[in-house]
Amino acid sequence: MERLKSSKDLLNFRQELIQQIDPAKPCVMICGDTGCIVRGVEEVIDAFTKEIERQGLKDKIDIKRTGCHGFCERGPLAVILPEEILYQQLTKEDVPEIVKETLIKKNVIGRLLYTHPVTEKKIIYEHEVPFYEKQKRNVLSDNGRIDPTKIEDYIARDGYGAISRALSSMTPEEVIDCVEKAGLRGRGGAGFPTGTKWRFTRQSPGEEKYLICNADEGDPGAFMDRSVLEGNPHLVLEGMLIAAYAMGSTEGYIYVRAEYPLATKRLKIAINQAEGLGLLGSKILGTDFSFYIKIKEGAGAFVCGEETALIASVEGKRGMPRIRPPFPAQSGLKGKPTCINNVETFANVRSVILNGWEWYSNIGTEKSKGTKIFSLTGRINNTGLVEVPMGTTLREVIFDIGGGIPKGRNFKAAQMGGPSGGCVPARFLDLPIDYDSLREIGSMMGSGGLIVLDENTCMVDLARFFLTFTQDESCGKCAPCRLGTLQMLKILTRITRGEGREGDIERLQKIGEAVKKSALCGLGQTCPNPVLSTLTYFREEYEAHIKEHKCPAAVCDAMVISACQHTCPAGIDVPSYVTLIAQGKYVEATELIRERNPFPAICGRICSHPCEFKCRRGELDAPVAIKSLKRFAADWYFENVGEPPSPFPVTRQERVAIVGAGPAGLSCAYFLAKTGYQTTVFEALPVAGGMLGVAIPDFRLPKEVIEEEIAHIRARGVEIRYNTPINTNYTVDDLKKEGYAAVFIAAGAQRSSQLGIPGEVEGLEGLLYGLRFLVDVKVGRPVSVGEKVGIIGGGNVAMDSARTALRLGAKEVHVFYRRTPEDMPVTESEYQEAIEEGIQFHFLVSPTRIVSEGWKLKGIHCIRMSLGETEASGRRRPIPVEGSEFFVELHTLIPSVGQAPDLSFLPPDSKLERARWGTLQVDPNSLSTNVPGIFAGGDFVTGPTYLIHAIAAGRRAALAIDKYLRKDTSRIEIRDEKVHVVDDVHLAAGEEMVEMKPRQKVPAHRPEERIRDFREIEKGFSEKQAKEEAARCLRCDLER
Amino acid sequence: MNQLETMLPKLNEILNPYRSNPEALIPVLQEVQEVFGYIPPETMPHIAESLKLFPSQVQGVITFYSQFYTYPRGKNIVTVCRGTACHVRGGTGVLRVVQRELNLKDGETSPDYNFTLETVACLGACAQAPVMVVNRNYYGKMNPKKIETILNSYR
Repeated sequence: MERLKSSKDLLNFRQELIQQIDPAKPCVMICGDTGCIVRGVEEVIDAFTKEIERQGLKDKIDIKRTGCHGFCERGPLAVILPEEILYQQLTKEDVPEIVKETLIKKNVIGRLLYTHPVTEKKIIYEHEVPFYEKQKRNVLSDNGRIDPTKIEDYIARDGYGAISRALSSMTPEEVIDCVEKAGLRGRGGAGFPTGTKWRFTRQSPGEEKYLICNADEGDPGAFMDRSVLEGNPHLVLEGMLIAAYAMGSTEGYIYVRAEYPLATKRLKIAINQAEGLGLLGSKILGTDFSFYIKIKEGAGAFVCGEETALIASVEGKRGMPRIRPPFPAQSGLKGKPTCINNVETFANVRSVILNGWEWYSNIGTEKSKGTKIFSLTGRINNTGLVEVPMGTTLREVIFDIGGGIPKGRNFKAAQMGGPSGGCVPARFLDLPIDYDSLREIGSMMGSGGLIVLDENTCMVDLARFFLTFTQDESCGKCAPCRLGTLQMLKILTRITRGEGREGDIERLQKIGEAVKKSALCGLGQTCPNPVLSTLTYFREEYEAHIKEHKCPAAVCDAMVISACQHTCPAGIDVPSYVTLIAQGKYVEATELIRERNPFPAICGRICSHPCEFKCRRGELDAPVAIKSLKRFAADWYFENVGEPPSPFPVTRQERVAIVGAGPAGLSCAYFLAKTGYQTTVFEALPVAGGMLGVAIPDFRLPKEVIEEEIAHIRARGVEIRYNTPINTNYTVDDLKKEGYAAVFIAAGAQRSSQLGIPGEVEGLEGLLYGLRFLVDVKVGRPVSVGEKVGIIGGGNVAMDSARTALRLGAKEVHVFYRRTPEDMPVTESEYQEAIEEGIQFHFLVSPTRIVSEGWKLKGIHCIRMSLGETEASGRRRPIPVEGSEFFVELHTLIPSVGQAPDLSFLPPDSKLERARWGTLQVDPNSLSTNVPGIFAGGDFVTGPTYLIHAIAAGRRAALAIDKYLRKDTSRIEIRDEKVHVVDDVHLAAGEEMVEMKPRQKVPAHRPEERIRDFREIEKGFSEKQAKEEAARCLRCDLER
Repeated sequence: MNQLETMLPKLNEILNPYRSNPEALIPVLQEVQEVFGYIPPETMPHIAESLKLFPSQVQGVITFYSQFYTYPRGKNIVTVCRGTACHVRGGTGVLRVVQRELNLKDGETSPDYNFTLETVACLGACAQAPVMVVNRNYYGKMNPKKIETILNSYR
């Protein structure tokens, strides 16, 4: 290739190249980036080359090894031109078929296409794939279409056209003006206006000016600079040329970090080629402008990404920052004015000059223009590089482009800006991303790393992780950073080890703020951000670690024996009882469960099983069916152990009274009895069990099971007095006067909430509140429903009411819920069972008015809802859609929109302190009220929650009451305990290599049959199934 | 001939283009390490003199940058990534397994000099997390079985 001596030469050269390209010629654009190399693309490229040669098609088909296409999760991938068909996850075995079918015969191979995760449609063309659809690939536009080692590819696509235009028709001033007006801001992280920086450098006195490209991309989790350098190095060189021309620099450096050898290699090739053509070096394109670029490699120091440290490193010194002013623009490399810009900043420049500043400034938000490349990694389905206009929301990036979180988990936060940034929690999902909006919420854009975190990430551990990194990389020059990072790291390490102390949070806050204000450089000034932002948005996690020795995400090794046990609110030793089941020791398994939970048979049927969501086996194939295993053991116990247990020995003098024979009350009584106390439970109803006893239909929880469990508890020495309400006639004070040394109030939450809409009149025929409806059916009172039944609500009571109505003979049952299916509090399996039974669901619908005639219900007016902005919880607020009202005719309406504790049984002069929302104020650790000796817990205090929480509260109260009675004022500490470690014979954990084995399915009665009556739907595991399922446990607890 | 004398010819070859150019210290050290596998402490004064630097300045740079080693390392350098993306996808577990397989801690070299284990904060291959590199070969989506197979191929 001949040296180009003018802009015209370049133009002519481009025309020649374009003419040589046949747009109809089949070409395989295959991604040759490091990411795809890791996935074996070299073999694929090799196979293509060989196959095409073998078939003698070398002249008819092109293969081009391009840079990163961005869709890294689906690599190795290729785009077939001219059609732009996207094939993904290629192996060398696919190649002959691709050549034969697609390249020659123009057929599309279905199995290699991307399948839409929701519609399940196969998508043929690259631009229709959702990952690409919503992106605006400006900087990355050439990446999937050129061979980065061939300058001709770049030139054919208008490469070097921008510097050509600048040299031939713009003055340096005009170039700076253009970049300034475009609003381009530094993409390295700080977002300083690029044009302004160029102007300052230009204006600084002196002939010698340096330009440096910061390619020290050190943020863990960020690889966009690498992909640009490796995939389109000329784009960066061109940007540098334009900058050099604008500010009058003749010498430039590209500082590449040591860990990017391929980027260095590609840059060297590109520089050589550009020099060869006269596009770099002396007298560029025949003008007086000369610019030489040298490459300097980093040597493994994150701090060298900071501009003054970088300059020191270029000068061969230790990479330590210095104080500013003077800024590099005034005095930088060798004391001369120096402009340092990030790779991505330079990569943006070409489009600004070629397309004009107006075009550029039309993209993005008011103060942040253009596009930004994000490296989307972590817990996300579509890992890769994403380029979007500034102002795109996090929700769009994570869900529309990123495909959401794997395994249907919940989004927790996104870490943006790497170790200098902060976490962005779910409530900001609709925040338009730009430099300023992120800073306002305590985070920052940074280089563009966007690491997605789900519910299994511990935020305290994350903060510690980042501090470990920055502490190691701190250069040590200034005391705030050198000492501050060390101290913060020490505190965080202690907290994650379960050794957190009172005051640690305040200490972290103080040190963090001090370091921010006083550190010498950007590293120090921003390193507290991960700590401070997690403290702001996830303070409760820190507190759980410090005060309760609990890691809510079940991650911190030192406190978690196995995630299942740690996550269980009652702390049941899951791996041990699962192993006992595998070994056939069902009675022992049941007794082990009873050490923390006296309701194994009930929980085995209706527990919300948080343990299963954290089960590590779930990472492999599916979680162990812990709940169903528990049921199997308990059922076996009740079928085979005839004798009731003997009462716990009474070893203590004091008597304790418990108000309410629900799960919280009975658990408290059980554990107090076990400790040696006499307990009496006062129950207003004629049956025990609380919500369990009266609100859960037989088809989920048969009466016999409840009776068996309660009989077992009573046999252990717990006295239950039925039909004995505690109210204004027989008060809590009276109990104390009778000699009960302590009282635990566990009266539950059984007051049905009202809808609060017009027409809601008590006594209306056909209006039945959910909880009352269920209770009436369960205790055997006569209840009837009409043909068309409507349920309002999406929780357990709503679901149970719907399915009960069906069994009572309703022809149509409709459930109206104001949110979406994902938001319903019920378990997935319950929802599926309801659908199987023919219940009809209407989501995003809310009732506005109840219509009646005389005293009879006629129907309801409803309005459709749409999802609005994100609330603090991370859920989107439903807002009514105006004009969308519709009428539904109904014979029966069953509102089930929640329950609340009913405090009306407490006398008005009760000294018990109320909390804000109508419940009692209790100490979260000891469940003690303000009156010594009176405790309260369960739904009565928290409002309706899951069964296992009530059981855990009951046990906590028992521990607290025991301490109180022995005058021990220390805190209640409930740690994970293993009473005995059971051997792992016959388990998957013992094997060298764990094979995928699907989870056993619990057999159930068929829908058409089971809705005829109230028989229990699930039949439970057989012994064979139980043993096989239990053998799937990986015994995470044995790693200790 | 002592150690330094045997190294001198190669060393001077590296130094010649950079004589009296203190700014070239880092590229020089990088080349020295490329050739000798590490930066032999004996070579340090000679390097300093050739580049017109004080030995303390050279020592300062060597100890500042994590890329430089002043002791020989193994034939196969196993690098486990401890970047955020890898961390979030189980990088700690990978490190644990590698440590167990090689019986080495971070920074250590095996007695037979076959393996050195080190960790790095981010390799930039985040889409393939968790990542392990042996010499210049990248391995992605690591799990215990894969680790074992890969390491065995270097034994």
